[in-house]
Amino acid sequence: MPTALSSTERGTTAYPRTGWIAAARRAVVDVGILFQFRKHAVRRRHLARVLSLVFLVITVGSAVVPAFAPGAGGPGKAFSILILMPSAMAGLLALNVASAVASGGGRELISRDHASPYPISPTTDYLGALLLAPLNIAWMLQAWTLLGSAAYATPGRLLVQTQVVMVLWIVFCTAVGQVLAWTVEAIRRGPFGIAITRTLVVALGATAGAIQISGNTTNLLDRVPTLWVFTNAISGWSWTWAGTALLVLAGALAAVVLGALPAHLAATRMPRDEARMETDQHEPRPMPSSVLGILIRTDRASVWRSVPMRRGVLVLAVGPGLVALFGDLQWQQMTILPGLVASGGALLFGVNAWCLDGRGALWRENLPTMPTTLFDARAWVLAEFLGVASLITILVGALRGGVPNSHELAALVATVLVVTTQVVGAALRWSLKHPYPVDLRSARATPAPPAAMVGYSARLATCTTFTGLFFSFCARVPDWRLSLIVAMPCLLWSATRLVRTRQRWEDPVTRALVVSTVAA
Amino acid sequence: MTQPPVVDVRGLHVRFGEVEAVAGIDLEAYAGQATALLGRNGAGKSTTMRVLAGVVPPTAGTVTVGGLDIRRDTLAVKQLTGYCPDVGGLVPRATPWEHLQLSAKLRRMNGWEERARDLLERFELGDVMNRVTGGFSHGMGRRLSVVLAAMHDPQVLLLDEPFDGVDPIGVEATFEVIADARARGATILLSTHLRDLAVQACGTALVLRGGSRVASVDAQEMSGEEGARAYRALLD
Repeated sequence: MPTALSSTERGTTAYPRTGWIAAARRAVVDVGILFQFRKHAVRRRHLARVLSLVFLVITVGSAVVPAFAPGAGGPGKAFSILILMPSAMAGLLALNVASAVASGGGRELISRDHASPYPISPTTDYLGALLLAPLNIAWMLQAWTLLGSAAYATPGRLLVQTQVVMVLWIVFCTAVGQVLAWTVEAIRRGPFGIAITRTLVVALGATAGAIQISGNTTNLLDRVPTLWVFTNAISGWSWTWAGTALLVLAGALAAVVLGALPAHLAATRMPRDEARMETDQHEPRPMPSSVLGILIRTDRASVWRSVPMRRGVLVLAVGPGLVALFGDLQWQQMTILPGLVASGGALLFGVNAWCLDGRGALWRENLPTMPTTLFDARAWVLAEFLGVASLITILVGALRGGVPNSHELAALVATVLVVTTQVVGAALRWSLKHPYPVDLRSARATPAPPAAMVGYSARLATCTTFTGLFFSFCARVPDWRLSLIVAMPCLLWSATRLVRTRQRWEDPVTRALVVSTVAA
Repeated sequence: MTQPPVVDVRGLHVRFGEVEAVAGIDLEAYAGQATALLGRNGAGKSTTMRVLAGVVPPTAGTVTVGGLDIRRDTLAVKQLTGYCPDVGGLVPRATPWEHLQLSAKLRRMNGWEERARDLLERFELGDVMNRVTGGFSHGMGRRLSVVLAAMHDPQVLLLDEPFDGVDPIGVEATFEVIADARARGATILLSTHLRDLAVQACGTALVLRGGSRVASVDAQEMSGEEGARAYRALLD
């Protein structure tokens, strides 16, 4: 009995290969499908609708309202801002690139594990990350600041033309950020990828340092191409303006299309950082002397062996420090930094702190130890994580600051203590109230869904920025005792809230819900 | 049976919001015996195991383990039990050895290292004891969960789906762990969908349906084709 197919017979029907236009169209449609899927999974839809409306109002408001402020478009402060606009545009591009590169290509519309059974192309994955990029408080603040500054700096008759180009520039920066992030990710996953990317980062840092030390920063900023874009943007209704707007638009569209190429390349390569982290040998260490000690050690390992947390904390700690260093920030202004860093650090895992155990939460919950000890260990590790990041930022930023006087030092110490307690308290409160099952393996993973992350980041940023500004004022008062006196009630209030959360954690029903959710 | 049951569950109810995961289960398990919990998905097996492990508190009913009330003496019950959860059960960025160290420290164990190494070898995990568990295959994770449950020779061994995705060597090692526990007088509760393996490992089988117990039979009655038919009839 013949079993082989003859040459005239056809075997299984080959799946028809689609052309790249059809594949791109399909990828775009898939983004829509996945976006709808994620939208339906939003728990508090009413709140999401309110937040979307708030976002729209703030965006339109920041693009229009400053134009009607006293002095807008005039020769004084407005002109000073006008001169800084090209640098601000370049800064927006740099921050978009840094943020996307640090998160390994941006956020996932659907997590890698959840996506694995479905035919989702790398183009869809990349477009999803592009779509989610604005769901980030840092992105929003930058965009609002740029629009607001442009509205205030330019004369009212040029408002529409300027803002059209500014909006296109924001889109361009976001798209270019994604292209570069995916390119870096593709390189990082390739041969010698980690060494190449580290060399690139060091070279970039060294170049920036050399430019700053040689006093050429202003010369460089005077020559950035954004100067040309901004000059044309404020040239009024003209062919130059139209050409510039079209050019930025074309650049943004080209970046959107081009980004698919490195995304496909990256998808064919193994994520090296994650693979290395999961296969590295960790030699046994001696047993700590206390129960709290071993719990802290376990939690610490969970934090520092996670790719998104390591990368995230590095960017968070060093990034603002470098901005402070190159921007020659004074000690009095440095009080803003710990709040920013602590807020960002909490967004790496703190806002869903119990997800650190993953599915091991069930086993850990069966271990015979007091729930409060578990809570104390988690709170300590979170505080330590935030504190270390803040201290690195301050150390880097202080390289040019000289020796602070007593009231500046007291204000800075008080700020670090207050914002760390505030952020740890808020993060653990939210972790208990809204746990999510999240696997923090991927460099692109976040501890909560994108919409929730925006809410958390907005609340943290508001609270800590206010605190930082308050202590910045204290740093100007020549009495070191003022900062410590002001810090006491703030610390007491935050500590009381933390203790209340600790008491809620003791409730077995609450704990069971958290553990069952994060282990799901 | 003259001895009092080590695990005694009366009218157990567990509710998660509107969902009643367990609706009045009664269960007794004795020292030196292995009892299988059988039933379809959502029958309440894993939730019952979580209650016995002290992870989920009962909504209603009484649960005693080793004579201790699980509501009042949760910590003492956790000391008595060894639990292999149904999903994962491993901290993703800790190594097997770090899991064992944590368990030993919290249970105030001394000289545990030799037994831990022996168990890791028996489950063929000795080579990976210093690698984080996040990179483990499903079967490796299951095997390590059994090791963690058994390491401290618990009085009550709770194994929830220990055979899921495990190779024959792992299954044999798990059988050995169950046999050893029975020999030293421990109580074993084994939840599984694999009826044949449950029959081999256990003396008694409880069949759960819709959150309630529908049968308590000698495990041998569930063996073979006749047993399969009887089991199938209990599930419908």
